[in-house]
Amino acid sequence: MRTRAVYRLATVLTKSQLRGNQRGRIFTRWLSKPYTILVVDVSLICVLGFLGYAAFSSYLPPDFTSALQGTEIQGLTAIPTATSFAVILLGILGELSQSIQSSNTDLVNWLPISPSEYVAGSTLSLAYTYSFLPSLFLGASLGPAIFFGQPNVWLASAIMSAVSLLIGACVVEMLRSITNRISSSFYKRSGRSGIIVRLGLTILVLVFFQLLFSGQIIVYVLHAIVQTVEAVWFIPVVWPSLAVQTASEGLLLPLLFALLSLAFTSVLFGLAVNFRTRYWIPVPVSIKINSKPYQPTSTKIGIPGVTSAESAIFRKDLRSLTRRREMARFLAIPFVLAASMAISLSQISTASGSANLAATIPLYLIPIAVFCEVLSMTSIGQEGQAVWNIYAAPIEPKQLLKAKMLLTTLLGIAFTFAMLIAITFFVSPSASDIALLLCLGFIVVLEEASFGLYVATKFPDFRETVRSRYVTIWGSMIGMFLGIVIALVTATPILLEAFFSGLTIELTAATFFVGVIICLVSWKVTMRQAKLMFENIQI
Amino acid sequence: MDLLQVNNVSKGFGELKAVTDVSFSVESREVVGLLGPNGSGKSTMMKLTVGVLKPDAGTIQMLGSDVASNPTNAKMNVGFVPESPRLYEFLTGIEYLDFVAELYGLDRTVKQDRISEFLKALDLEGRENELIHGYSQGMKQKLAIIAAMLHRPKILVLDEPLNALDPKSARIVKELIHKFRDEGVPTIFSTHVLEIAEAICDRLIIMYQGRIIAEGTAEQLKTKAGSTGSTLEEVFLKLTGTSDTREIVEALWR
Repeated sequence: MRTRAVYRLATVLTKSQLRGNQRGRIFTRWLSKPYTILVVDVSLICVLGFLGYAAFSSYLPPDFTSALQGTEIQGLTAIPTATSFAVILLGILGELSQSIQSSNTDLVNWLPISPSEYVAGSTLSLAYTYSFLPSLFLGASLGPAIFFGQPNVWLASAIMSAVSLLIGACVVEMLRSITNRISSSFYKRSGRSGIIVRLGLTILVLVFFQLLFSGQIIVYVLHAIVQTVEAVWFIPVVWPSLAVQTASEGLLLPLLFALLSLAFTSVLFGLAVNFRTRYWIPVPVSIKINSKPYQPTSTKIGIPGVTSAESAIFRKDLRSLTRRREMARFLAIPFVLAASMAISLSQISTASGSANLAATIPLYLIPIAVFCEVLSMTSIGQEGQAVWNIYAAPIEPKQLLKAKMLLTTLLGIAFTFAMLIAITFFVSPSASDIALLLCLGFIVVLEEASFGLYVATKFPDFRETVRSRYVTIWGSMIGMFLGIVIALVTATPILLEAFFSGLTIELTAATFFVGVIICLVSWKVTMRQAKLMFENIQI
Repeated sequence: MDLLQVNNVSKGFGELKAVTDVSFSVESREVVGLLGPNGSGKSTMMKLTVGVLKPDAGTIQMLGSDVASNPTNAKMNVGFVPESPRLYEFLTGIEYLDFVAELYGLDRTVKQDRISEFLKALDLEGRENELIHGYSQGMKQKLAIIAAMLHRPKILVLDEPLNALDPKSARIVKELIHKFRDEGVPTIFSTHVLEIAEAICDRLIIMYQGRIIAEGTAEQLKTKAGSTGSTLEEVFLKLTGTSDTREIVEALWR
């Protein structure tokens, strides 16, 4: 294996990973170099360590610090295993959100690189990319470790975390090869049903991932690792943690587990090389959707006022949403938001109806607003380089906007119903409150769909990268912020009902008036922006 | 009769002047070849012609109507294949063609008949229900060509349409272009393969650095360049100021 080739390849793959995420000049120019990543990691550890030590020695009350004594070892023990899991999860998430065009390794097929060099380079690049995770964990634990006189255990944790980082990276590398091959064979045989299964599984993984990274669950997982690490000593992925846990019990056990961890890493590397050798060139997937002879689809989708061209764009976008792997992240949003809302709602008291409604409205509206805003503001950019099909077609900007808005509105309304069912389950609102929430939900769906389209036409991003954004960073920031503000402004009159209970009808009317005004203004500015977009093609 | 009239058109992208003061016209029953080295402004000129781009100066009249002020009308009359067309890869071939046909408002029966005929002619029958993602480059190119011809346009604008096509399909496309010409539908056609240009086109326009530097039949261009009896390639290299290619190769070999 040529180490120089491995290093160069790792650098290139890291650059590709970071530039694919379009994180700006700092990331693309500076942080894509391995040694600068290392410097940043060490600096992160030092800064966090210094802050932690300062907090423990000067600012935190002695009762608090003494209560933490003993848990420090547990925390340091958890870091290596947590690192492996986090890298594997992030790796899977990265693979899932990657567009199909970017998910192959075409370039290396004709370059003089051996499978082992490729796997080593790719593993190293994954380690570079995700090295911020153990750095964060280790930085946060350095101060307390020094304060409690456990620097040697911290050092053991740092070394084993580096090994765990490589374990996680090797697993991701194996998964990449396997999933490429399995998915190819699976789709070839299953066709349309395979796509549905893939969509369902992808959404499930994304939802699992998002929920896992909520604060409460992280604490639970870390605690579980520490509790069970000894009981599951036979599982290789916890060996690095066991090396840390036994660090204060002499040299033999930690050395044994450290050596076992290294051996396990080597085995994983060997397996990854083996898989890559076997599945080196990704098989082009040809998925047959239908075996029946061609029958043209009906020209309209059956909604009054929707032309055949608008219906065609609507149907195309619906297929895009359900067939493109990278689109699953958008479909996962409602599930994640609904789960977060359910957790929050379960904590709300059901004692007073009015107070409940006031507390429920933001919890109900913000997920709807976020979902519709995200769908809408990415709807133009997701055309990608194929947008020329739209530009070259004899359609007016208004027709494109109508079709895009229709899809967001229909999905938004479906989500509104789902949210309302969840709310009814948790809060048991009155019939009039349900009607009010339903109308409010519809208004917000329309507002976000039309305002989102303004952002989509003003800040479209048609670039097709490893993880395409479809809307510029500025656009997404502005869109998300103003989207939530719009939802809250619309709901403000109705929220004031808690203070002016005699003015229910007037406040309800004011809410809908505000909603209608926002919809009309958004639609008007979006139309103007869409015309400008059509005149200044960005491909 | 001029179906297309381009008058003093200019287009820039920031500092870059892609097209400068270009004028030409296209009559019915002719195939016009747009030639030029990479970056000479051919693709920009084609996008301007079909109303995808708006000129900074000058006018383009298509069938008597101004393209810039009524681009939708122009697009309805044009069949356009861009250079390396990107298609919606999550659609099947048939879904893509169905989508395009609906954008042009084709009747259901007409749509079905034409799509079936084209698929058969270009050897895509049997693969039409597969996702475009699994298609070869040539198959994607064929789909783009079918999509451009499906609505029986009044003008065809094809930017390197024969790229990646197999010989049989390339021949069919050439025959189709001539068939359209015989029916009064002109084609503006760009290619880097000068033998193809000479064989297909009735008239050639050579662009260089955003301007038209020569226009006429292949024979007229040879006469203009003072190279009667030489190949179109030699005329092209002479007109575009390319120095001795042998010297370049020798320099590379050193």
